[in-house]
Amino acid sequence: MTQSPTLSRRSTSSTPPLPRKSRQRGADARAGYTFLLPWLLGFIALTVGPMISSLYLSFTNYNLFEPPKWIGLDNYTTLFQDERFLQSVGVTLSYVVFGTPLKLAAALAVAMLLNSKRKGQGFYRSAFYAPSLIGASVSIAIVWKAMFGDAGPVDQGLSFFGINLGGWVGNPSMTMPMMILLTVWQFGAPMVIFLAGLKQIPADLYEAASMDGAGPVRKFFNITWPMLSPVIFFNLLMETIHAFQIFASAYIISNGEGGPAGSTLFYTLYLYLRGFSDFRMGYASAMAWLLVIVVGIITLIFFKTSKSWVHYSGDSK
Amino acid sequence: MISRRNFLTTVALGTASAAALAACGQSAPAQTGSAQNPVTINYTWWGNDDRATRTRKAIELFESKNPDIKVNGNFTDFAGYWQKRATEAAGGGLPDVMQWDLSYLRDYGQRNQLLDLSTVKIDTSGFDKSLLPSGQIKGKTYGIPTSTNAFAVYYDPAKLKTLGVSEPDGSWTYDEYKSWLKEVGAKGNGTFFGSTDFTGIWWQFNIWLRQKNIEAFTEDGKLGFSKDDLKTWWNMASDLRGTPALVSEERTTQLAPKSPFGSNVTVAENTWDNFMAGYLADSGAKELKIVPVPSDDPDNLGLFLKPSMLMVASAKTKFKDASARFIDFMINDPEVGQIFKTSRGVPASKKQRDGTTFEGTDKIVVDYEKSIEKYLKDAPEPPIVGFGTLEASFKRISSDLNFGKLTVDSAADAWFKEAEDLIKQNA
Repeated sequence: MTQSPTLSRRSTSSTPPLPRKSRQRGADARAGYTFLLPWLLGFIALTVGPMISSLYLSFTNYNLFEPPKWIGLDNYTTLFQDERFLQSVGVTLSYVVFGTPLKLAAALAVAMLLNSKRKGQGFYRSAFYAPSLIGASVSIAIVWKAMFGDAGPVDQGLSFFGINLGGWVGNPSMTMPMMILLTVWQFGAPMVIFLAGLKQIPADLYEAASMDGAGPVRKFFNITWPMLSPVIFFNLLMETIHAFQIFASAYIISNGEGGPAGSTLFYTLYLYLRGFSDFRMGYASAMAWLLVIVVGIITLIFFKTSKSWVHYSGDSK
Repeated sequence: MISRRNFLTTVALGTASAAALAACGQSAPAQTGSAQNPVTINYTWWGNDDRATRTRKAIELFESKNPDIKVNGNFTDFAGYWQKRATEAAGGGLPDVMQWDLSYLRDYGQRNQLLDLSTVKIDTSGFDKSLLPSGQIKGKTYGIPTSTNAFAVYYDPAKLKTLGVSEPDGSWTYDEYKSWLKEVGAKGNGTFFGSTDFTGIWWQFNIWLRQKNIEAFTEDGKLGFSKDDLKTWWNMASDLRGTPALVSEERTTQLAPKSPFGSNVTVAENTWDNFMAGYLADSGAKELKIVPVPSDDPDNLGLFLKPSMLMVASAKTKFKDASARFIDFMINDPEVGQIFKTSRGVPASKKQRDGTTFEGTDKIVVDYEKSIEKYLKDAPEPPIVGFGTLEASFKRISSDLNFGKLTVDSAADAWFKEAEDLIKQNA
């Protein structure tokens, strides 16, 4: 017990705040708001403001240069007759549905490997985390494109084993596996969170399970999974939202066009093309708001269903 | 651990440098500079490494002759170029001077993003009178052509020799052209392909329409051709797609942004004659030749001289005078002609053309434009607003066609749907 980290708080050295006079409380509040002000101003000017204007623009025909023209719900209704829009939805959904669970599985598996005490553990942790640090960068997408290109290392490596797939970059049926591999490889961020979660599981639970003769599989499903479920839930939610927003790597790998044959036409990429290539900013805004709504609904569903499988330590109260 | 003292020093330094930066910003709006305190204008262009090297040389020359102006140059490839400009235009921060394309002149000019160049001092006395209107919309001059180009079929004579295929002489029908591509593909045996799908190029389609005396766009901004015309056009390559006569779309995608011809994968390619320098640099070939495009009517090749690119300035530039001097220099200076030769096209200004010596491959381009002189018709009708989008979707949809994702009929339907939607949007 002494070695394992405990969930309980450290000794309560901080005493509860003494009741103060209301004038002092007002001064505290003012100081608080003053310190908050820079963030608040930024939040209003850079987040809330643009969001409201984009909501307005989504009901207009706006080409960036001329004043927007009000067209009501037209943008939203034409969306569903737009084949490229439907294609972008399909591409994005398959990326989210296959990429996210695989990424989380990889993150959890490696986190469990790194959880045990070994020599050079620090090195392994940083080595596995490194790809995520440079993850969203343009350079990685370029490297990825070169690796999976015609006669690139992947093509050469596979043909060494007698598998001749050719370059993946130009093959519409191989670009999605490539994009999913790219995201799975960048599992560092959820891995670190998993690792922190694993450290919180009391070792004596495993000891007790071993005494009762439980194998590793049983330990995983009866101890690790339920104890880790809040962390799994958090990672699942964050990575799902994150996956919906994929842009930079798709943009680089497809030369900003979503090709070949629309196979990398991700939602945000199509949104960007609509806004900045076709000058249809109202249409792009409508797409953006639809994405907000859909991600919101998915988050809500996650929270509702989470009750049945996520266990918090404070639940017994 | 940062000590309190260190922290305060850092903050103080940061504040001081921010103030210093702000002070620099305040001195910038001055209209003119001096050798001691030059103004900086931003210039952007699209192109490959070859053009970048030449442009940098031209900029250095300009700076040495105009010590009161510094030029900050920046470039991307064609596709990304227009997305960048749209972002900048939306933010009100277009570069001072830009290389421009006819396809996008209306989008920006008509929407007051470009400077009326007739209000500044630029010498256009050396220009052909019939060429200047292509940069003008409703009486305002938004762009000045740097040079002219014409459409052509490129081929690599050395590769043809190794394959044992004879060189074309440029008087050919579409059937003859196609059987030539088939022969190249068959003898190329997987190492060399005939060409990229010529039916996926808007301008080649436009030329074919003109060969049949059809205009692509009507004066009131509508389409001048029918869906059947487009189907006939795309069907033209139906028997070539998926054969070695045309390089596969997969390869083309992988090779981007270089073209399959520039990457030594195909033996021929249809495009503008000013691509010569770029192709030579990309492919490392010693010699490339150009001949006229095929036509089923030997008296009507549908060819025309197009401003290959234009120089424009941002309507919001703070340095009108410096920008005008840079544009004037780029279009008129004989030494600039000597740097670019025909890589931007044949210089449009007589001053520059006369000051440039054309040898070797550059002479091929100049000679080609001379050889087709008797066939040349007026430059095409000014493209409609949003033409850049249509051109891009033409390329995208014909690429889907090559991937086998669409039939010719559904491809034509898809393009017409997009075109009609776009025309309605901009009406």
